[in-house]
Amino acid sequence: MSVAVATRAPWLPRFITSEHPLPWLLPAAALMTVFGIYPLISAFISTLYRKNAATRKLIFDPDYNWVKVFGDERMWNALMNTLIYTSVALVFQLVLGMLIALLLDSDRKGYGFMRALMTLPLVIPPAVTAMMFLMMLNGSFGVIAQGIIWTGLLPDNFSILGDASTALPGVLLAEIWQWTPFMVLIMLAGLRSLPKEPFEAAAIDGATNVQAFFKLTLPMMSKVIAIAVLIRGIDLLRAFDYVKVMTDSGPGTATETLTSYSGRIYFGNADFPYASTIALLTLILVIITSTVFMKAFKVKL
Amino acid sequence: MELSRPMQILRDVTAALVTALFMFPVFWWALTSIKPISAVFNKDRVVWFDFTPTLINYAVTLFGRSRSQMAIDEGLGMGVAGAEAYDSRQTIVDSIIISVGATTVTILVAVFAAYALSRMRFQGRESYLNWVLGQRFMPPIAILVPLVTIYSGLGMRDIQNIYLGYIGLMLIYALMNLPIALLLMKSFFDDIPKDVDEAAMIDGATRWQSFSKVVLPMVRGGVAASAVLCFVFSWTEFLLSLFLTTDIRTVPVKIQTFVTSTGNEWGFIAALGTAAMIPSFIFILLVQRHLVRGLTLGSLKE
Repeated sequence: MSVAVATRAPWLPRFITSEHPLPWLLPAAALMTVFGIYPLISAFISTLYRKNAATRKLIFDPDYNWVKVFGDERMWNALMNTLIYTSVALVFQLVLGMLIALLLDSDRKGYGFMRALMTLPLVIPPAVTAMMFLMMLNGSFGVIAQGIIWTGLLPDNFSILGDASTALPGVLLAEIWQWTPFMVLIMLAGLRSLPKEPFEAAAIDGATNVQAFFKLTLPMMSKVIAIAVLIRGIDLLRAFDYVKVMTDSGPGTATETLTSYSGRIYFGNADFPYASTIALLTLILVIITSTVFMKAFKVKL
Repeated sequence: MELSRPMQILRDVTAALVTALFMFPVFWWALTSIKPISAVFNKDRVVWFDFTPTLINYAVTLFGRSRSQMAIDEGLGMGVAGAEAYDSRQTIVDSIIISVGATTVTILVAVFAAYALSRMRFQGRESYLNWVLGQRFMPPIAILVPLVTIYSGLGMRDIQNIYLGYIGLMLIYALMNLPIALLLMKSFFDDIPKDVDEAAMIDGATRWQSFSKVVLPMVRGGVAASAVLCFVFSWTEFLLSLFLTTDIRTVPVKIQTFVTSTGNEWGFIAALGTAAMIPSFIFILLVQRHLVRGLTLGSLKE
């Protein structure tokens, strides 16, 4: 067999040949720099300017926005809403996801089909899902709202998304419906990868199914659960689509999250420096929570 | 786990009911799309099946027919103007162009980096991986405001130049999908033993040859799965499209314009919404096998 000679032209420096990692990594790095790092830096720089509402001029005033943001009650409200939204959605999605995964984890006929159906909500555009629930939650002709009204829990023609006390649960309903299947899928993958032996041993020792679940399944699934919570949690902290479409952060500021507050400033009074300040605060929140979470639960993606 | 017969039946029934519950909104949406307007807006009760099905909503949104003209033709008493505003043909074309373009860019850029991160050991490898992961964690809103300014400066706002507008959206979607595609493809490269390319290189192949001729063909399935996920995420994206475009309308943004001051056009919304789900459904069923791996950035395998 003839030995092929390396085809590299001798005058080329080594770092632009395929033996060197640089050419492989460069395109992705360029994309992430130009469209990620550069806008991020300019967003930060813009927060160092104060926008004069009357003259629309930008005045250099480095701590103006950052002082303002921590004294802004609407920001604290948005932060609270974001945290409530994230934790409620996570708990529901995790518990429902686990229960449904346990239910559907079977090799019997039809279960594979049901598992496939379960994945469908994941790929509907969230903005479309939001419209779907907007219609179904309409007090006068929405099928879900009518169902709740029929049980007598809510008065006739009650507008779930129009009332400050029920708007957030209404938005959460769409969120939970669309993303519980995400947890189901991941939990199913976790359940299917569990070894059989410990369960057989436990059954011989007379353990009940409930005991086996808490003593064996949950501990063995901890890594899977942590990864699922991390990925879902990051997306929840930047929740935007459902809130924007279903309530536009309202009524008032009842469903305003950090991201939607930032968007509202952007579209509203066009105070771009302050919109960026809120947006960067969201980024900081995501970084801190995910870092703490990854350290605490020793998760590595 | 063995169950007694009644328990097994109970489980089957519960599983079917839960699945049906999760399918209900999709079913209801599709049902609404074939309802005449009188059955959607019924103040007295929710209309289930007692209506005459109509395709008028699809004809208006997907085929650009004029609703008032159709109403006259069919002898219905609902002549409302505003045909062009609901014609979504251009929207669907825009969405497809952008999603396909973004997917192509993402895969082209990510596949090389994924290979290098899987195969080569070099200084800064961990940092690069953390950078990619950090990119996934970054809320798009954080870069949005400067992005609008940058795009205006480069003439990439779609009001200035529609083609550059397409490219602008493709590139930003590519950035958003890059971490998923990169980490997912890396996990597929990791599955192939290193001996494979080492053997090729001992035979005299360059890195490039061992990548393009030997390893890449072995991970075709993984690349396809990554591409499908990128397509779906681009197809469903809302926030960036909402802020960055004015003339170009992707489906999730277009559908919001059917919310009008005189009332929401639920029939049209349902028709376009149902149509928008179909490509996603088909694609996702194609990659069922790799879905979990994709959604967890390659860290969980099925």
